[in-house]
Amino acid sequence: MEPEIRWKDRDDLTVLDRSLPRVDAVAKVTGTARYSHDMRLPGMVYARLVLLPWSRARIQVIDLAPAQALPGVVHAALVEEDKELVRYLGDDAVVAVVAAESPEQARDAARAVRIDWTPEDNPLITREQVSEEDASSLARRGNVWQSGERGDEDSTQRALQGALVMVEAEYSAPVQHHACLETHGCVVDFRGGDEATVYASTQAVSNNPRSFARALGLDSAQVRVVCEYMGGGFGSKFGIGLEGRVACEVAKALGRPVHLMVDRPQEFLMTGNRSGTRQVMRAGADRDGRIVALHVEADKFGGVSGGSLPTPPYIYRVEEAYARIHTVHAALDGNRAMRAPGHPQASFAMESMVDELATELGMDAVEVRIQNLASETHHRQLRAVARAIGWDQHPFRTSPADRPLESHERPPGCPAAPPGWMEGIGFAVSQWGAGGRRGAQCEVRIESDGSVTSSCGVQDLGTGARSYVAAIVAEELGLERDQVTARIGDSALPPGVASGGSVTTGSVAPAVQHAALLAREAMEERAVAVLGGETGGFSFERGRITRKDDASRSITWREACALLGEEPVSVVGSFQRELHQGGVHGAQAARVAVDPMTGRVKVLDMACVQDQGIPLNRATVRSQINGGMVQGLSYALFEQRVVDPDFGAVLTANFEDYKIAGAKDIPRMQPIIDEGDQRSAVMGMAEATGVPGAGAIANAVHNACGARVRALPITPDRVLEALGRKG
Amino acid sequence: MTQRPPETSSSAGVSRRRFLQGSGTALAAGVTTSEASSSAGPAAAPRLSGEVEVTFQLNGEARTALVEPRTTLLSLLRHHLSPPLTGTKEVCDRGNCGACTVQIDGAPAYSCLTLAVDLAGRSVRTIEGVGSPESLHPVQRAFCEQDAAMCGFCTPGFVVATVAALEQEPQASLERVKERLSGNLCRCGTYPHIFAAVQEVTGQRTDEVFREEGR
Repeated sequence: MEPEIRWKDRDDLTVLDRSLPRVDAVAKVTGTARYSHDMRLPGMVYARLVLLPWSRARIQVIDLAPAQALPGVVHAALVEEDKELVRYLGDDAVVAVVAAESPEQARDAARAVRIDWTPEDNPLITREQVSEEDASSLARRGNVWQSGERGDEDSTQRALQGALVMVEAEYSAPVQHHACLETHGCVVDFRGGDEATVYASTQAVSNNPRSFARALGLDSAQVRVVCEYMGGGFGSKFGIGLEGRVACEVAKALGRPVHLMVDRPQEFLMTGNRSGTRQVMRAGADRDGRIVALHVEADKFGGVSGGSLPTPPYIYRVEEAYARIHTVHAALDGNRAMRAPGHPQASFAMESMVDELATELGMDAVEVRIQNLASETHHRQLRAVARAIGWDQHPFRTSPADRPLESHERPPGCPAAPPGWMEGIGFAVSQWGAGGRRGAQCEVRIESDGSVTSSCGVQDLGTGARSYVAAIVAEELGLERDQVTARIGDSALPPGVASGGSVTTGSVAPAVQHAALLAREAMEERAVAVLGGETGGFSFERGRITRKDDASRSITWREACALLGEEPVSVVGSFQRELHQGGVHGAQAARVAVDPMTGRVKVLDMACVQDQGIPLNRATVRSQINGGMVQGLSYALFEQRVVDPDFGAVLTANFEDYKIAGAKDIPRMQPIIDEGDQRSAVMGMAEATGVPGAGAIANAVHNACGARVRALPITPDRVLEALGRKG
Repeated sequence: MTQRPPETSSSAGVSRRRFLQGSGTALAAGVTTSEASSSAGPAAAPRLSGEVEVTFQLNGEARTALVEPRTTLLSLLRHHLSPPLTGTKEVCDRGNCGACTVQIDGAPAYSCLTLAVDLAGRSVRTIEGVGSPESLHPVQRAFCEQDAAMCGFCTPGFVVATVAALEQEPQASLERVKERLSGNLCRCGTYPHIFAAVQEVTGQRTDEVFREEGR
């Protein structure tokens, strides 16, 4: 008999919807968590890729002999025989691989490979360069092609002409790197024969065996992929990549385990990125602040890939909208999925435009948003973040500040700008589909000694997946969370899903809950034998199983498990549609300080209200919200890939040139779980939290001093330039 | 060879081919962001040979290791010790990110910028020497309580940097803590949780760092 498929009522939860340390916290804070980087196997060699860091290089000679002659070097090979041209600066620029007994020797060998090459005349970096008449083609459809169109251009033009106010502006966002702290790569344990284990830094454990098997010449069933811990993915670690395929080639050639993690500069050059954009917008609004028309022409800069940008209008309701999007290729690394691909770019432009219209109309920045957002959830959330950030006390709600704030104009406890700095507040919203997909399974095993294991092959990118694989089962069985052992990150376990689109929780948690319900029913069948009653008639609370109709009839968890004898409970749950939902909403607000003398921007305070159905663990939900805000702040103020267009070289391939937010950049943060969302379902929310930050900060900069910076990152020179434009 | 291309725009008419041709290998070695991708010939790869014996204290025990002069402390820990100590992470390998932070004679240090031969007679503490799963250091306990680790890759470096900071300044203010942790990077965005953990250890208010209503 199938148990009723449901989550417990919110009020009855004792493990979920609580703030609990994640189950692997101790492993992480003690350094005992082992990542792919940390695998050390008997006989293992260290492999290193040789990458020529120039776009469009014509190769004359690659001489491996000097590398092969060095001590400790066991392997040196071309990645592609007779390669004549580096088509783009990305994985196509990897020309050779070397392997040696130690990492130092591998580095020597990589350095010793001799490459004679000459540059092609056109490095194919800028829009102008790739558009030249004789430019080589980087893609089947040409270097610049229309990749999206929506709406009626004529009626949009007419609506624009009829609008009370009209704003025209160009917004741009640079290419952003994932910058995972653990670089891409894997350790391949294949010593010949018909089985292999790969320790991969991946966000798709259950999907990877197929790709590794193909590279090793084995069947999927012969390859086990393990990823107990991984140091960040953010969308860049789905496939096994060139580095995975090359590692397999080296292992096949040597019959020894191979450690191949790309180095930090290679991580910046060949493992994907968030595409850049340029969006030229014209928008019109009526007297009440309703957006009546929006015309968008956009370019996506995704290197050799297509780039990402949801077709405008983004989130906001617009009466007449027209958008035309072009993909502009360059001879650079292709973009990959990155935490809400395309959305932060779209959000920055749309939220800036909404703000510009509000300024033209002299309207309140919150009210104009509520006017143009369809969802009541957004309305509620905007009011909540406005309260949290101190909008009500703020004296400059309809036009930029013209003087520094006084202390009574902030809420108590709110961080203040340094003396002489201007201060402003900005807003933005998010929404995300999330949802779930079929395919995830979970096995729950209960042994006669009372121990419980919950197993699913899903990976934990740092979201807390491992914790809920245990917590959900503990909740249903009336146990403490730590009485259940979670096993994840192994393709030999029941399958998980790839972690993309914030679907992991919506896909995996329902399978875990289903397994928990099946396990509970199996235990009830055993309990009937000693307590009487019937299945479905028991409560599982605080380590006891009790008859609902007769509270005097109960046994402890351990007593119940002892009844199992030699027959442990082993049940497998699968994805259950009714346990998940899609559709999350969020709103963010930022309070910034701007130094009008230097153009420096400092974020003082950020607030985010986010819904997500049942919060499986309030601590990890808060961490996701804060993480999204921090990444939004970093994108808004600091991150920018810089490419030299004359030489086709990336100039920002390590953290000294590519700045990400650090400790001193972090404001006070207010991660607010939306208590107004009482849906009895689970859903992921991580990507939504990374979307609105840049727009909110850009709008706050304008509110602080009237500087409208339309290009990310908002650097001091751009702030000063915008202040100068303002006059 | 540290020559960099001049800062010109493509409209300046610099011919890429003319500029790079013939000097292609030299430029590749100079501008490249990765020594692995250098194209210098064999003569340009000088190697220091021979190993040196170095004796130092590692997590309270005397250790003697044979190292090449160019071996970093980070590589010694992760690759050349038996068994290796892999809690200390390699992220940038050039002193940008702090993931490899250890304590040397109590002070925080980037192990990727420290040569192992320089350790003679000195005392090194790594994350493995800070605490163990059975016996957590108060800083580690606070990191767990405040959920100060997401993917966890930067975490050992942050823990060691925090321990070093609080040993030197037990009542550090929030501003001082941020200053002292500014050599460490986290990509997931755990910073506010790390600050809250520090505040917990120093007995200061955590709501300065972030506020959360409810449970």
